[in-house]
Amino acid sequence: MTTSQTSPLIEMRNVRKSFGLFEVLKGISLSVNDGGVVCIIGPSGSGKSTILRCINGLTPIDSGTIRVGDFSVESLRSDKKLIPLRHEVAMVFQQYNLFPHRTVMQNLMMAPVQVLRQNADEVRDRAEKLLAKVRLTGKESAYPGELSGGQQQRVAIARALAMEPRVILFDEITAALDPEMVSEVLSVVRDLAAEGMTCVLVTHEMRFAEEVADEVFFTDRGVIVEHGPPSTLFKSPSDPRLKDFLDKVL
Amino acid sequence: MNSELRTFLLGIVGVPLCLLGLFAAVYGDNTGAMLGLMAERTPTLLTGSPDITSLDGGFLANIAMSIIAMAIAAVGGVILGVGLIAEFSIVRHVSDVVMNVLRNSPWLVVLYAMLYLLPFEVEIFGVYVTISPFIKSVIGLSLPVAANIAEIFRGGIQAIPSAQWESARSLGYRRLQILRHIILPQALPLMIPNLMTIYAMLFIGTSLVVVTGASDILSAAKVIIATTGSETASGFYIYILFLFFLFAFPIAILTRCLERRIGSVSL
Repeated sequence: MTTSQTSPLIEMRNVRKSFGLFEVLKGISLSVNDGGVVCIIGPSGSGKSTILRCINGLTPIDSGTIRVGDFSVESLRSDKKLIPLRHEVAMVFQQYNLFPHRTVMQNLMMAPVQVLRQNADEVRDRAEKLLAKVRLTGKESAYPGELSGGQQQRVAIARALAMEPRVILFDEITAALDPEMVSEVLSVVRDLAAEGMTCVLVTHEMRFAEEVADEVFFTDRGVIVEHGPPSTLFKSPSDPRLKDFLDKVL
Repeated sequence: MNSELRTFLLGIVGVPLCLLGLFAAVYGDNTGAMLGLMAERTPTLLTGSPDITSLDGGFLANIAMSIIAMAIAAVGGVILGVGLIAEFSIVRHVSDVVMNVLRNSPWLVVLYAMLYLLPFEVEIFGVYVTISPFIKSVIGLSLPVAANIAEIFRGGIQAIPSAQWESARSLGYRRLQILRHIILPQALPLMIPNLMTIYAMLFIGTSLVVVTGASDILSAAKVIIATTGSETASGFYIYILFLFFLFAFPIAILTRCLERRIGSVSL
């Protein structure tokens, strides 16, 4: 085996971040293998979402290092320098954040055409396949406002995939959905994970995390308290804080 | 019949009738003769010349000034507005000061300032260009309007949720690209009613340019009244009110229509 296969795709080392006087991340280290599925769980305000936002450079960090593939994220200080990284790392948000003035098809095509300068016809072919994949064929010319929350979130996943990323970051993507729509979104993520897409999920869906994750990280108050494969983390947690958290949510 | 159409019909019939009533109250038995005088002088009031040989004065000048000043103010306002939301705090603060100074200056004062600050003529590439009262008026009017447009621009941009910026950034868009492709298309419809309101204000404000010596409708009226006698002044000014109303009122109604339509579109 060569080193490129063994070294993780994402590697965070001792990452610290403060917002004003409040230190959100107090030395986070984690790694994600290529093709791996990692779930980050933990109480609200523990810094889960901030970890994701640091990985794609939306939130600049104060100290530590973040490596994604060949990019050293903390050294990319302008949006222009971050473009190649954002080609590789896509993100899906809790509130979908689709562009409401553009149709579903335009939402998928905009960034590849306008940012990556790819050929519009090729992007359209790809976008049609992606819409089929998230089971939204026929909604190409609908506007986001005409779709249900679950459908919008699936469009958002397809939009992220249209960038042909190596990693997708999912930030509590089912938290704003009505319960009956959660499963349609999760099944899309499940398919992606099965196909070998590298996924990092911040989630409150513990059963889903247990099912799809290779590794689960539990964060509390800005530190990673415990991590490991879901079988050990969920079945036999060792840290009292994790036990307490699992008692509350399961 | 929708409410705007009702308001429009009510206003477009009611207000002229009220003005006519006022006219009759002032002139009593003479009303007919005075209306005849108004009709006779209408070409002069509208174009500045009695036989419509030139179209550079009177009410047409007011309309032209408002349109040119609006165009200049739109360009200046957008530039200033981009400054107001700039990433660099120095640019932001400077733009803020400029915007506040211009927005809070009385229009009449700005017009007087133009009269005395701008030279009679300037040399551009060796060619002497006269700065006519018309040009001074247009510049003077466009300054405070530009500041208002900058504020409308800033407000419209900031009405779009920051999550839109964020998701665009995560797709690799840069700041100006986000503004152009994602934020402005959503913000522009929100700005249009405000822009139309400021245009209506600008149009009404063109009546102030008489102080610069530009040949607008009020200076045309002054010239006429000098020959027809001061007892005809009330009639001419009522007539001018009517002309301004005729132009500005439909804009106000259209603004309201647009506002309602935008309100019904969920963003």
